[in-house]
Amino acid sequence: MHDTSQTHPLQVPRRLQQPVQLGSAQAEQFAATFEALASAVDTIVLGKQEVVRLALTAMFSEGHILLEDVPGTGKTTLARTIAAAVSGQWRRIQFTPDLLPSDVSGVTIFNQASGAFEFHPGPVFANIVIADEINRASPKTQSALLEVMEEGRVTVDGNPHQVPQPFLVVATQNPVEMDGTYRLPEAQLDRFLVKLSVGYPVEAAEIEVLRGTHQRSPEHLAPVVDTDTVAQMAEMAKHVYIAEPLYTYLVQLANATRNHPQVAVGVSPRGLIALTRAASVFALSQGRTYIIPEDVKALAVPVFAHRIQTAPDAAMRGVTGAAIVADAFDQVPVPLPASAA
Amino acid sequence: MSTRRTRYRLRVAAVAACLTLMCVVAGTVAARVYHGQMLLLLVAGAAFGAFAIGFALRNRPSFLAPGISATGLAAYLLGAIALTSDGTEPLGVTIVDALVNAVPRTLTALIPVEPVPDTVVVPVFLTWLAASLSCEFAIRYGRTLLGCLPPTLLYGAGLYLVGPNADAGPLYAIAFCVLAAAALAVTAAPPERRPDRDATVDGQAPSRMPALMGAVITTTVLLAAVAVLGPAAARLVTTSPGDPREYVEPPQLTDIDLNPLVRIAEWAQYPEQELFKADTSADAWMRLAVLTEYDGTTWQATGDFRTAGTVVPGAGEATYSADVEIIELGGKLVPAAADPASVTDLPIAVNLYTKCLLTPDGLATGTSFHVDSALVANDPAGAESARPDLSDVTTVGVPPGTPEIMATIAEYINATYDTPYERAQGLADFLSQHYSFDAQAPSGHDLPALGFFLGSPVTAGGQRGTSEHFAAAYAVIARMVGLPSRVVVGFDVPSGSSTVTAAQGQAWPEVAFDGPGWVRFDPMPAAGVAPVPPEETLEKMEEETPSPEEAEGGGGEAEDFNDEALEQDGDFNEEAGQAGGGVPRWVWYAAGALLLACVPLALKLRRALRRRRRLRRGSPAERVAGAWAEVLAEASRAGVKVPGHANAEEAAGRLSALKADIGALPRLVNAAAFAPGAVSEADARAATALVGPFSRTIRHQVKWLRRFLT
Repeated sequence: MHDTSQTHPLQVPRRLQQPVQLGSAQAEQFAATFEALASAVDTIVLGKQEVVRLALTAMFSEGHILLEDVPGTGKTTLARTIAAAVSGQWRRIQFTPDLLPSDVSGVTIFNQASGAFEFHPGPVFANIVIADEINRASPKTQSALLEVMEEGRVTVDGNPHQVPQPFLVVATQNPVEMDGTYRLPEAQLDRFLVKLSVGYPVEAAEIEVLRGTHQRSPEHLAPVVDTDTVAQMAEMAKHVYIAEPLYTYLVQLANATRNHPQVAVGVSPRGLIALTRAASVFALSQGRTYIIPEDVKALAVPVFAHRIQTAPDAAMRGVTGAAIVADAFDQVPVPLPASAA
Repeated sequence: MSTRRTRYRLRVAAVAACLTLMCVVAGTVAARVYHGQMLLLLVAGAAFGAFAIGFALRNRPSFLAPGISATGLAAYLLGAIALTSDGTEPLGVTIVDALVNAVPRTLTALIPVEPVPDTVVVPVFLTWLAASLSCEFAIRYGRTLLGCLPPTLLYGAGLYLVGPNADAGPLYAIAFCVLAAAALAVTAAPPERRPDRDATVDGQAPSRMPALMGAVITTTVLLAAVAVLGPAAARLVTTSPGDPREYVEPPQLTDIDLNPLVRIAEWAQYPEQELFKADTSADAWMRLAVLTEYDGTTWQATGDFRTAGTVVPGAGEATYSADVEIIELGGKLVPAAADPASVTDLPIAVNLYTKCLLTPDGLATGTSFHVDSALVANDPAGAESARPDLSDVTTVGVPPGTPEIMATIAEYINATYDTPYERAQGLADFLSQHYSFDAQAPSGHDLPALGFFLGSPVTAGGQRGTSEHFAAAYAVIARMVGLPSRVVVGFDVPSGSSTVTAAQGQAWPEVAFDGPGWVRFDPMPAAGVAPVPPEETLEKMEEETPSPEEAEGGGGEAEDFNDEALEQDGDFNEEAGQAGGGVPRWVWYAAGALLLACVPLALKLRRALRRRRRLRRGSPAERVAGAWAEVLAEASRAGVKVPGHANAEEAAGRLSALKADIGALPRLVNAAAFAPGAVSEADARAATALVGPFSRTIRHQVKWLRRFLT
């Protein structure tokens, strides 16, 4: 239990709940905590600093993470390590074709002793839920995650049940092996703040992995922050300053993806909000209290790419969402002074 | 919403009105060479009609506009042809003839052009077309600038049609420009809505007041410059506009028309020959030909004849009228008092140089016509203190090989008389007193013939002649004296109805004076007065002439009125002194070169002022932004362009190719742009301090031409 009478160094003062500029000291404190957490994860997931920081950015943005890569690249390890670094409750669900929605959300059982129905929470009731190989479950089971991912609650037999806060879903999927899998629907993809690819480690990191396979395990990692701190940091990110021209810049970027000739469905307003939140966290992680275009550009592909549905002919030619985002950046001028001088 | 709609409608209506009036003004330019107001009304109607149709269809499908407008044009053309037709031909024939021959006849029509079907079709058609296109561009598609193009082309076509046959007409140009400016101003977008990035300064639209003040000051300076430099610059233009009528072959002259002076001998031989009947309103000399060029053999007229309408261009108000019926006067030259203003019942061509008339088909017995003239006053009194008008070199040229007697007489005249007028009159007196009229004298006015007339003894047949000899000899000697002269052939016609006979035909000399113009002199001897042998007078003059030394010592009283020293002479009017003055041409060339040289200086000054403004004015954030803009501008000069979609970090990556340090400028510009208040005074100083070293470091990478020019 935390002592609520004492103000945590990262706690946002009540007066800052208003749209007020954060102080640089708070930003530096945020950055230090963020870096400590990232460093801790880096000790387990070697050579993936960028992915780790993007994942943590998503976590502090109160968004969910979809890790997509071939088997054995460390997706689950990354998810478990993040869960271990935060001293909250975490659960892992191994998605299989016969997994039922109630196996995820929980079930109501009649208690003969009490003579009443009791709700038994499913594994989704945790601060961090690792949905391993999410695309192996049936669409019905996948959709059981929809409500909880968006609203943070589960409704069983008409009764809503709040999941603990903060709540983070880290899902993994294998893009190569498609037999016996069900592609995630667009609506669910849109609920993931970022989609990350871990990728193979560089040679040096891979050698290091081989050397310490037995020593490195998420179970050995001591928690760096608790869930309250994560919640406070997420709250702080909501007060990052965004200059007016950047709002226009962000909307123009989204419009550029929507109006792109090779795109069937562009970025949704939810995606735009997600990018703004993620950029806010990214700025704070750099010790800044304001967003700059570099933050937007760093996060646009992980946030936007999986939300863009390319036109069928473009998809046939191998045009990806990332390429569309790159095109959009080439079309929209950065609102810097005299940038065209 | 309704206010916006009303404002929009007002703007559209204002643009339509301006463009319509531009078409009217452009059509009016061509109407200046037309007789009367008919064409002006027709082009104005065409402009309004075409614009009205286009305006009414502005919200209809675009394919409707050409068809309906073409129908309207056809109807309007038919109306115009019917209105201007004289009814002598069936309307169908008139329409076909007008449509087929419109272009060549318009370009070669007599000036002032009579508004007949042939000549109104082209202006009306072009005006309608220009107005329709202008309406489509400006009203339907909202391209006001493009909409100004058709009226401008119409204006140019009007100028081409007019050629040199009308005054400059600056008011038309001013009105046209004002209307165009008004149309553009009405549709002008505020700076923040303009698509070009020049409309923004440091990412923000400029405030209205400085922009307005700048526009007012610039306009004032431009107007002042035009007012001061315009007249002087206009004087540099020495060529007239091209005239499409120059491509039309002028009427051909017969031999007797080319050199009508030879007719004098014939007329002197047969003085009773009846040439024409005349019923005139006053006594006047009716000119047949004016001869200004002398090549030592013949006197000939200068300038081509141009076909004209009933009204002769450039003439003043008619003060004299004559009804003429030809009897035996041949040739093509038409007798008329100077200067003819209008001729009816006879197709004519006019020599714009001498204002003489010609009828292309030639005169025949029974030909009758009416001519009105604005009589030119023969003003000897006004010429007494005037300088000779030497502006036309063809009137002062003396052919080589003049007889010695001519030089002797010229020397005598120069020695005897002081002022130009005295010399002109003295020469006339000399000829009239020393030579006699002889109707039987052989014809000829080449230099040997004139030498025979002037210098041969009486016993050999010399010293007597007809007006041909007197006028020709006078004109040549006058030129040797320094007086511009010409020979005129014509008739002395009394007031009232009379028959003009050959006895009234005469040649006389005229001398040009600055101010009074051409003044007629009469070198003919008075009837019944015995001539004094010229040798006596000339020998006496030689005895009285001082030696050259004495003459050089100031003994000569003759005044060289071509001497520039006369500029200060109060005897001559000041206007004459200024005729050839003005700013020397080299001054204009030097001024132009200086202006050209000032361009790079002005650009450098502008750049320096801009840098100063960017780095020294405004808040710290604005100065950091200014430093960033300066760095990007310098990099652009060095050939490294930073695209608009690059953020500060990417821009810094591109600038690294220049190997010049920009330090923390990317971070500062991000802070300045996206976190107002996060930039301190020290940050601004650090950012602005980077600009100078950066510029110096990359200076050698800027191409020399760009470095010189900017």
